[in-house]
Amino acid sequence: MNRSDALTPILDIADEEVAIRLRGVGNRFGPVVIHEHLDLDILRGETIGIVGGSGTGKSVLMRAIIGLRPPSEGTIMVLGHDVWSQDPAERKALDARWGVMFQDGALFSNLTVRENVMVPLTEHTNLPPELRVEIADLKILMAGLPSSSADKLPSELSGGMRKRAALARAIALDPDILFLDEPTAGLDPITAGKFDALVNELKDTLGLTIFLITHDLDTLRDACDRVAALAEGKVTAIGPLDHLREHATGWLSEYFGGPRGRAALG
Amino acid sequence: MPEQEAQFAIDRSGPASILQVTGDWTIHTIGLIDAELRAVRDLIEDRPAIVDVSALLDLDTAGAYVIEKALHSSVAEPAQMIGKHPVAGRMLAEVRKFTIGCEALPAPVAVWRQLLERIGRGMMEIYKECYDTIGFFGETVVACGKAIVNPGRVRWLPTFAVAESAGLNAVPIVMTLSFFIGAVIAFLGKTILQDFGASVFTIELVGFAVLREFGVLITAIILAGRSDSSFTAQIGSMKMTQEIDAMRILGMNPMEMLVVPRVIALLVMFPILTFLAMIAGIAGGAIVTVATLDISPVLFFNRLNDNVGVDQFWAGMGKAPVFAFIIAIIGCRQGLKVESNVISLGQRTTTSVVQALFMVIVVEAVFALIYMELGI
Repeated sequence: MNRSDALTPILDIADEEVAIRLRGVGNRFGPVVIHEHLDLDILRGETIGIVGGSGTGKSVLMRAIIGLRPPSEGTIMVLGHDVWSQDPAERKALDARWGVMFQDGALFSNLTVRENVMVPLTEHTNLPPELRVEIADLKILMAGLPSSSADKLPSELSGGMRKRAALARAIALDPDILFLDEPTAGLDPITAGKFDALVNELKDTLGLTIFLITHDLDTLRDACDRVAALAEGKVTAIGPLDHLREHATGWLSEYFGGPRGRAALG
Repeated sequence: MPEQEAQFAIDRSGPASILQVTGDWTIHTIGLIDAELRAVRDLIEDRPAIVDVSALLDLDTAGAYVIEKALHSSVAEPAQMIGKHPVAGRMLAEVRKFTIGCEALPAPVAVWRQLLERIGRGMMEIYKECYDTIGFFGETVVACGKAIVNPGRVRWLPTFAVAESAGLNAVPIVMTLSFFIGAVIAFLGKTILQDFGASVFTIELVGFAVLREFGVLITAIILAGRSDSSFTAQIGSMKMTQEIDAMRILGMNPMEMLVVPRVIALLVMFPILTFLAMIAGIAGGAIVTVATLDISPVLFFNRLNDNVGVDQFWAGMGKAPVFAFIIAIIGCRQGLKVESNVISLGQRTTTSVVQALFMVIVVEAVFALIYMELGI
């Protein structure tokens, strides 16, 4: 079986081939249960799209995986390391290996784009300052921004450019895993399409695993190898987009079958 | 997996320089080797260069960048690659695309020139601030004038809300501080005047100081810190969330909606606060005087009435509307100048409080001169 076509959340394969392994993850806010016994394996080198209605905890799941919010229960292994391990060395091993692009970019507003991209370089590497600047500029160009934007503040950029700047910062350390939270939300279709192409290109160049939260059906079609649907606190369906469409039930059938879904997927 | 140190060697024996790279060339390893690599870059000179990647382990874009740069600085043609590596060819090609387009950073400007530039910019900024403030002052006067002619257009609800939050809620702090200032003046007067055997004049000192200067000044300083910052932050955050744009689109004038209510509220509340501050200040002075100087309360108020008089009260009160106006318009103007980023909100709030305090003290000095000339 071709593994990138895998149709179950749990895959019976060795840890080395798995980028992210979730087992029995639960998240709750007081009495409100967001996730319960959630299992998911994400393969190295694949782009997985996470879909789900509002409030199904897509962002909560991402925050648990990247170590921002502890899950109520379960284990989260990223690249073979336990994210929520108490061992600081274990955590530190992971810090430089993922890049995150938050929904609104989360660029530091008092720093220029170049300085923003240089932050992870300064924190995690021993590069000489001159080389740090050069590498930051390289990443800015790789993210598809003109070099003239390097000296601008985030507030001076358009929405699409801000997303690219955030992407440049996320790939600054050549991470193994890239987390993208709604990368194309709020972009016009043309810019969104270009962004998808950029993500694909970066994935090919850098050999990334991409965890992509999106509502954008075009992004699911163009950028994702597999799609995982969250509902009722679990991964209810997973597989290549076409498979999910054929076997869609409940929320998914509404999602794919609605006028927008039909228009995007044909 | 432990990282292998990045190393390189250059073989110049053949017709082409061969750059042999070994170990891991990733963003975590190249820091140690970058300076060395820069130094030999010139030695590769203008001979064709070849990179040997057969012993290369891990490579990322940062590593590819320094390799590509070492090769590229000497030859115009893309370098040849020998040896087998799973990603090196693709990485080098990918990075080459971007390094060709890379332009050098502009040379840094000399420090003294930067300094002069900043001074110049600062001066222009001050000039513009003054000009704009006067412009805004005029605009506010016109808006308030319109409101007086047509009181139906005044937004009374926000006016009362501001009067409560900026005026009524400030009563405890204004009165407490004035009370203590009054008491301190009395102590000071008693200590110094006792040496001259004139300690009874402490009463006049308290009267003049509190009525003429401190009642109104304490109120102004507290409101400049308290209300001015809140006006700027309120209006500023509305500006950031485009609420003010929305008002304009809906045909509402932000001057009328936001500025006029604040000006009216402060114009009404400021004299009331000043009055309360005066009472508290006199009370503070009176308690200290009566308690420490063996002067009866009756004597205190008789002397206050005879020797200080109501003129001093009006001299102090006369400043209140002026200060109220200054504080309201500076707070509103800075709020309206906030841009759509967090830094500017902070900057504007600071500027607003500093400007208001500055103007209050300057105007206070101007009043002192005017009163002196008038002989009050």
